[in-house]
Amino acid sequence: MSFIADKQTLDDLGLLGRFRQHSVYSLFNRVHTAGGGRLLDEMFHQPLTDPAAINRRSIIFRYFQAQQPTFPFRHATFRFVENYLGTGGAGNIAIATAGMLRKKMMGALLKDDQFNQLQAGLTATIEALLSLKDLLRPLDIALVQPAADILADKRLSWLEEERGLKQLPVMKAARYDHLLRNTLRREMETLLDIIYQLDVFIAVSTVARERGFSYARALPAEENFFSTTALTHPALADAVANPLSLDGNANVLFLTGANMAGKSTLMKSFGIAVYLAHMGFPVAAQHMRFSVRDGIYSSINVPDNLNMGYSHFYAEVLRVKKVAEDVSSGKNMIVIFDELFKGTNVKDAYDATLAVTAAFSKYRNCFFIISTHIIEAGDALKQQCDNIRFAYLPTVMEGNIPRYPYTLAEGITSDRQGMIIIENERITELLAT
Amino acid sequence: MLFTTDNQTLEDLNIFGKHGGDSVYNIFNRCATRGGAAVLEEMFRYPLSDDAAINRRCGIIRYFAGAGMPFPFQSTLFDAAELYLSNTDERTKLSAQEHSVAKKISSIIAPDAETQQVYNGVNALAELLKGAKTFVSALQIQDGHFYAADKNSIAAILSEPAFAAIIESKGKLQHAAIAEFDIVLRFRHREEVHTLLRHIYFLDVYLSIARVAVERGFAFPEALPRGQHVVRLQGVYHPQVKNAVPNNISITPEGNVIFLTGANMAGKSTFMKSLSIAMFLAHMGFPVAAEKMEFSVLDGIYTTINLPDNLGMGASHFYAEVLRVKKMAKELSQGKDLFIVFDELFRGTNVKDAYEATIAITKGFAGKRSSLFVISTHIIEAGEVLKQACPNVRFIYLPTRMNGNHPVYTYTLENGITDDRHGMIIINNEGILGILEAGIKKWNQHELYCR
Repeated sequence: MSFIADKQTLDDLGLLGRFRQHSVYSLFNRVHTAGGGRLLDEMFHQPLTDPAAINRRSIIFRYFQAQQPTFPFRHATFRFVENYLGTGGAGNIAIATAGMLRKKMMGALLKDDQFNQLQAGLTATIEALLSLKDLLRPLDIALVQPAADILADKRLSWLEEERGLKQLPVMKAARYDHLLRNTLRREMETLLDIIYQLDVFIAVSTVARERGFSYARALPAEENFFSTTALTHPALADAVANPLSLDGNANVLFLTGANMAGKSTLMKSFGIAVYLAHMGFPVAAQHMRFSVRDGIYSSINVPDNLNMGYSHFYAEVLRVKKVAEDVSSGKNMIVIFDELFKGTNVKDAYDATLAVTAAFSKYRNCFFIISTHIIEAGDALKQQCDNIRFAYLPTVMEGNIPRYPYTLAEGITSDRQGMIIIENERITELLAT
Repeated sequence: MLFTTDNQTLEDLNIFGKHGGDSVYNIFNRCATRGGAAVLEEMFRYPLSDDAAINRRCGIIRYFAGAGMPFPFQSTLFDAAELYLSNTDERTKLSAQEHSVAKKISSIIAPDAETQQVYNGVNALAELLKGAKTFVSALQIQDGHFYAADKNSIAAILSEPAFAAIIESKGKLQHAAIAEFDIVLRFRHREEVHTLLRHIYFLDVYLSIARVAVERGFAFPEALPRGQHVVRLQGVYHPQVKNAVPNNISITPEGNVIFLTGANMAGKSTFMKSLSIAMFLAHMGFPVAAEKMEFSVLDGIYTTINLPDNLGMGASHFYAEVLRVKKMAKELSQGKDLFIVFDELFRGTNVKDAYEATIAITKGFAGKRSSLFVISTHIIEAGEVLKQACPNVRFIYLPTRMNGNHPVYTYTLENGITDDRHGMIIINNEGILGILEAGIKKWNQHELYCR
């Protein structure tokens, strides 16, 4: 079963989007080959739900991060290799040689370009194979073993002789051409596939090294556990790290805090870390351990859908309903609700937040982070449920100017700086004149 | 002084819309000519702030709505004429003398593009001049009529002696005649030709608005002199909502701050938009979606209905709202009379802050007796305090009636503050708590719950 994350969630967390600045995808998108890009796409679209598979992948990332190999291919040159190997050669050596000679003749007599192209593709491929050989030499990991085996094949023993060669004699070219595109066709496909994987693993582990990301350890779902000692948002430089842990006895985090105190960022950081961890990717969180979940739902910027006649409140209600349906079907979910029911009057929002949070919190196999402005609801929940953790992001006043330390504190906030901001802007004075 | 507004307002009210979608501009844009559409946009960009000018334009449109005439020109003529007039190169002048046999023959076989353009342009303008003459002479209006000034200006241009030959010409024009007219139209009396075209574009706009007003049954507002600070509207509705429910509202200096409450989906935003669009159109001298409207002229309109937050810049929604309020306060402190609308003031902060801020700001606004305010909020508790503090705050609400379990919205304004709370009913209708409880029960039965 695949990991559930709907479009709204992906948008909220800013995960996908190749051309969107600051998306998590573009953060990791340092691949050099088209095939690598496809593979990265695939990983982003299909997070894993099997802890063994997740850990297997993250171990590979870890290995590459430690080894620090440089990926030797660039898109501009590797394209030739992909094109060359992508077009099939002739069926037998005689026809291949004849074809090569004919192209050579055409090239000499008619200024036809085919022979030159073929030569360029062939030499680029030979060079690529040699670079790959160099790249693989120090690596000792099961992932690349098939490639090392192929390159060690007797039929490719001539590779070393051709190192640094620019132009191949026609007969030799015909022989190599037939070998690479015909006899060893399947092997070459395997090599390409491994090159793509190397591309992704090296690109992602380089990002992880540069940004100081680390790797999460996946645990079986039964352990029902999440913990990290330092969680940050991957796209923010100098982000303040916060510890965060959830388990069956404290599966709901009730988050309060002033505006701009960093509630949404903390929630997004959590969502992104969970998602990346399920891909086996490096996360912007230290010492993270997590039980695999079946999916994640977030509701951070619920858009109004006035064209369909929905108000903001109704849009939120429908979203909550969707989540409720999935949670009640027995799935282990991660749920993030930011400022639940902000689109309604205060008393309604209070009642609704209380009722919905209490009902959700009974699902101890699911983890919830719920933020709200209705701090009164927190006090009531404290009486009703024993599995809710209360935390807030504080605001410190320095004279008249609010400062946000972005460090999570236990409890419910009593900060109210709204009026101070209004006074800072001197609005009432302006109106009094 | 100019009538001021800003992009936020234009977007809130969907004046121009996005990507050519359904906008207020598009409701009125039935112009036959491109020039007319440009004039119409100009009117939308620059509403008027002078009651005489507003009443004049309104009077003209009302007259044409009554006359019910079609646009008296062929719209294709204008493209040819504009293209022709835009070419001011003296070298393209047709010459009447150099008319050699060779040239004649070659122009019969294939006239060059430039000459052809001049031919088309002169013919089109000749048509337009003749049409304008017919239009003006058929127009039976007295001096002192709103359109009289325009009519006289058109007539004055047409009586220019140089145009007489053109207006009186008949049948297909000969080369010599075209060459002669070319000089008159394109060079010697260029200004007059442009002025005439502009009059015709205005006519196009007036006729197109008049047609829309008649088709949709819009009312013509009456502008009162500045300083009375009143708006009286009967049966105002949103021009883009089908089967919209009309409402009556009057705002006077005794109650110049309207405090609007109501449940979600009860129609608060739509009402605010209807009222604002009516005010905007009225300041353009356009017909409005209402039965009757009287208003005293103001200096500007600002609405805050769908304020986007700018998280990329690190500003939260609350801060965006604060800055917006500050902008209004600045404008007000310069002594301008404004129409200001705030939908769900301070929804981006916690309840206590929002409560205090709403009271503080509304009180501040209430001190500005010469401007008009409409403020909607979810913090109904703030209303009670304001009732005591400010005598000139008027309280209205949009009610919700419960029909069994289903909320029904009347969309009709009533006086007072609502205490309708149907949020929980909607949640219960969707059965969310039921779903969650049923799930837990099932789990308990399967003993899966205790892990």
